[in-house]
Amino acid sequence: MSYVYTVARLRGMENHILDAAFFARLMDSPTADEAMKALGETSYAQWLSAGEMGFDKAIDAEILATCRELGQFVPDPELLVLFRMPYDFHNVKVLLKSLFKVRGGDPDGRRHDLLSPLGNLSTEELTEAIETEEYGGLPYKLGDVIPQCWALWDQTKNAQAVELLLDHCLFAAMLDVAEKLGVPDIVMWVRHKIDAENLKSAIRLARMNYDPARGLPFFHEGGTFRAADAAHLLAEPQETWGKLLSHTDIGALLNALADTDMQAALSDVSKLLDEYLIHTLEGARYSIDAPANVLLYLLIKEAEARNLRIALVCVAGGLNREFARRLLSHVR
Amino acid sequence: MEFLGLSLALFGAALAAALSGIGSAIGIGIAGGSAAGVMTEDPNKFGSCLILQALPGTQGIYGLLITFFVLNKLGLLGGAGAVALTWNQGLQIFASCMPIAIVGWISAIYQGKTSAASIMMISKKPEAMGKAIILPAMVETYAVLALLTSILMLMGVQVG
Repeated sequence: MSYVYTVARLRGMENHILDAAFFARLMDSPTADEAMKALGETSYAQWLSAGEMGFDKAIDAEILATCRELGQFVPDPELLVLFRMPYDFHNVKVLLKSLFKVRGGDPDGRRHDLLSPLGNLSTEELTEAIETEEYGGLPYKLGDVIPQCWALWDQTKNAQAVELLLDHCLFAAMLDVAEKLGVPDIVMWVRHKIDAENLKSAIRLARMNYDPARGLPFFHEGGTFRAADAAHLLAEPQETWGKLLSHTDIGALLNALADTDMQAALSDVSKLLDEYLIHTLEGARYSIDAPANVLLYLLIKEAEARNLRIALVCVAGGLNREFARRLLSHVR
Repeated sequence: MEFLGLSLALFGAALAAALSGIGSAIGIGIAGGSAAGVMTEDPNKFGSCLILQALPGTQGIYGLLITFFVLNKLGLLGGAGAVALTWNQGLQIFASCMPIAIVGWISAIYQGKTSAASIMMISKKPEAMGKAIILPAMVETYAVLALLTSILMLMGVQVG
């Protein structure tokens, strides 16, 4: 199939994306049953009616079905691989941390309920590979990095360090796939994604008053600014970060964030960064055959899934709806 | 050298039909790909998509029209036999065919791209069909100008 067909079909599919009016209705639902009834009138209905599936699993099923549908007509399947890769690494983290607990003497340490079905690799195969230590067939250099994770765990017993190692590997693998695709917009998106992750790490570390001299390992290479530059932020007041990164695209976002109390609202920052990543691909909308439209659609669908989770958890848990409304991102 | 003039004129006529036809085929192909994508999600948009897909087809018709003009001028239609042409006259007819051949070829491709974009537009905003037609029709203007140029030039060439 050509990208002209693909992009046109995606435009048609965008008509089914849940809009602001639907989310307003969802958030105004007095009870969880009412909210589920509203969800039952959307494309998610097929998953809600299929057995005893809760909304969380129904949302995953919808995203998975979207990926499979796109897989039938997107000319470069690597675009889908790129989108699903973070879920693979999430699953590796879950499985490794489960094993750390089990081997540490906690027989109930396995948290396979946290595995996501959205990865490129089936959760069953990945679980078997990691539990049997048969990593040879795993892609994205996981076969090399998982033994390194074990060695790091044995030395430090630090799960966060293991996660960081896996994140380094994830971003390197994403950049590799994007560069092989040869689409500048996609490469740039991956680099912006690395920037966003570095910025989130910087904000978290700054909140903890982390020693700037020891911050470098928390940052990833491959973004539009170096990991060392990100680590350098920790030594500076947050108000000056926008100026320090003014040569990058994310610098403008930081300036916009200047009025936000980053100490108090990490969730707002996270939301803005997610929207920023979608925004970096929005230029592709004006092209009839830009491959970046595939990734853009998937990110919009992922934002929709995230918004649904926020809204449904808020309604079901009777949480503050104004706060939840503020967390919704990229609602049209 | 006896038939050089006639050969040049026929070569021009062939290019007018061929290049504008190729352009139209590519343009319709691009718009068709887009229409198929939109109709996969909403088959009810067939009517609107068909109109927009057909727009880049006009250049091929213009090229064919010029070819008929040339063949008529050369006496090749109707069985009366070809008129005698000097190489200079043949070259003039060849040059007359070039506006629609070149502009028709390129404008049809760009019109196809604009039609594809318009098809995507009506997939989101069906009520904007009028505007969606105007955008690719703007590209058509230059194909029409090229057609007129070719016709006027052909009318100015004295043969026989």
